[in-house]
Amino acid sequence: MTLALRQTGALAWRSVRGTLRTPQALVPSLVFPLILMAIFTGSFGTAPGTIPGFPPVRGFLDFALAGAVVQGILIGGTSAGAAFALDIEGGFFDRLVASPVSRLAILVGRLGGGVALAMAQAVLFVSVGIIFGARIEGGVAGVLILMVLAALMAMAVSGLGIFLALRTGSAEAVQGTFPLFFALLFFSSAFFPRETMTGWFKAVADVNPISYLVEAMRDLVIEGIEPRPTLIGLAVVSGLAVAAVAACSLAFRRRLAASS
Amino acid sequence: MSSSSHTAALAGGRRSSGGNVRHALEVSAGLAWRSLILVRRMPSVFLPSLVMPLFILVATSGAFRGISLLPAFDGASYLAFTIPLALVMGAGFAGMNAGMTLARDIEGGFVDRLIVSPAPRITLIAGPLMAAGVRSVFTTTVVLIAGLIGGVGLPGVVDTVALYLLGIAFAAASACWAMGVALRTRTIQAAPIMQVVIFLAIFTSVAYAPRDVLTGWLATVADLNPVTYLLEASRAAELTGLGWSELWPALVALSALLALLGTWAVTGLATLGRR
Repeated sequence: MTLALRQTGALAWRSVRGTLRTPQALVPSLVFPLILMAIFTGSFGTAPGTIPGFPPVRGFLDFALAGAVVQGILIGGTSAGAAFALDIEGGFFDRLVASPVSRLAILVGRLGGGVALAMAQAVLFVSVGIIFGARIEGGVAGVLILMVLAALMAMAVSGLGIFLALRTGSAEAVQGTFPLFFALLFFSSAFFPRETMTGWFKAVADVNPISYLVEAMRDLVIEGIEPRPTLIGLAVVSGLAVAAVAACSLAFRRRLAASS
Repeated sequence: MSSSSHTAALAGGRRSSGGNVRHALEVSAGLAWRSLILVRRMPSVFLPSLVMPLFILVATSGAFRGISLLPAFDGASYLAFTIPLALVMGAGFAGMNAGMTLARDIEGGFVDRLIVSPAPRITLIAGPLMAAGVRSVFTTTVVLIAGLIGGVGLPGVVDTVALYLLGIAFAAASACWAMGVALRTRTIQAAPIMQVVIFLAIFTSVAYAPRDVLTGWLATVADLNPVTYLLEASRAAELTGLGWSELWPALVALSALLALLGTWAVTGLATLGRR
C-alpha cells in the first residue's frame, strides 16, 4: 500500500514537472483566463447595478473571478489529457505497464497531477483577483470550498482527457476536444448571469453543468457561503468527476486487456 | 488559374517595367490561387477561420445580450452589434492563414524554390495578401448570412460594400503581421504568436461594448487601439449607416496599420536571403 502511494506520488510529481517544463502547455491555462477576466471587467464594469437581472455585486471583477478559475481548469485539463496521450504515443505508458508499478498508480498519479496543478492555478487566480480588488465574501472557508469545487472539476476534466487519451492514443485528438470545452464554457453563465439571457441560449445555459459549478463558486465570492448553490454545485461537479473517473478506469482496463 | 499558366507566370525573362509589374501581378495571382485551393486539400487550415467568427457571433451575442440593455446601446440588437466583431475576427483569421501558409511553405522548401526562380520576391507577400482579401470576402459573406438567419437584415448596398472593404483592409493588415512573423521565424510553430497578437488587438478594443461603457485600463487601451476605429466604422455601417465622422478615423487607423505592418512584412522579406 505504502509502495503504491509512493508510486502514485512520484507519477503525480512527474506529471506536474512535465507541465512546468513545457510553458506552451502551462501559459494558455494561466494567461488566457486572466486576460479574458481583465477584458470582461473593463468591458462590462458598468453592468452590475444597472442591468436588470444582474445579481448584486461590488464590482464585475468579483463576478468574473469564478469564470476565470473554471476556464483555467478546462484548459489545464485538456493539457493533462494530451500529456497522457503523449506518454502513450512515446511508449512510456507501455514501459510503465510492463514494469511492476501499481496499475492504480498510473491512473491516479496522472489524475493527481492534474488536480494539483488546477489547485495551484485556482490559488493564483484568487490571489490575482484579491490583489486587483476582488473581495471573497465567503472568507477563508469560502476559499476552501471553492478549492474543493476546483479540485473536483479538475478531476472531471482531467479524467475526461485521460479517457480520450486511452481511447485514441493521440495527443492531437485530445487537443482537438479543446473547442468543445471552450463552447461549454461560453454557452454557460461563466461570464454573464443566466438571468440576463433569453431564448435557446438561456435554455442551453440552464442545462449546462458548467453553469451550476460557476454559480456555486461565484456565490462564495459575491454572497458568502449559501448552502443551496454550494450543494447544487458540489452535486453536479461530483457527478461529473465520478462519471469521468469511471469512464477512464474502464478505458484503462480495456487498453490493458488489449495490450496483454 | 491552371497549373500551366501558373508555371508560365513564374518563368520570367527580360521585360520592360510595365511588363515587370504585369509579371509580378500574374505570379502573385498564381500564388494567391495556390493558397486558395489549399483550402480544398487542407480544410483543417481554413475551417477555424470560418467556425471561430460564427462561434464568436453566436456565443457573444447570446451570453452578453444583457449588456445591450444599457442606454449607451440605444436599443440596438446585440446580435447586430456583434456582427462587426465576427467580421473583424473572420478577416483576422484570413490574415493569419496567409502567415501560416507562408511559414509552411518556408519549412517545406517551396519558398526556396521560388526565390531561385525569376519570380519577383515581392510576390511572396503579394500573393498571400490577395488570398487573405479573397478569404475575408468569404468569411464576411458567411457572417452576414448568419446574421440574416438570426434576424438581422443587411444594411444598404453602400454600407454592405463598406463592411466588405473594411474586412479586406483588416485581413491585409493581419496578413502583413503574420507574414512578417513567418518570414522572421521561418516555422509554423510561430503560429501562436501570429494569433495571440491579433486576438489581443481585437479584444482590447470595443469588441464587446461601445467606448462610453468601457471602464479602467480597457477604456484607455481601446482609445489607442486602431481596431476600435475599424469596429466603430463597421458598427456604424451595420447599425445606423456609415458617416464621415466614423469613416475618417477608420481610414487613418487602417492606413497607419497597413503602412506599419506592410513595412514589417517587406523588411521580413529582405531577411530571407541572409540565412
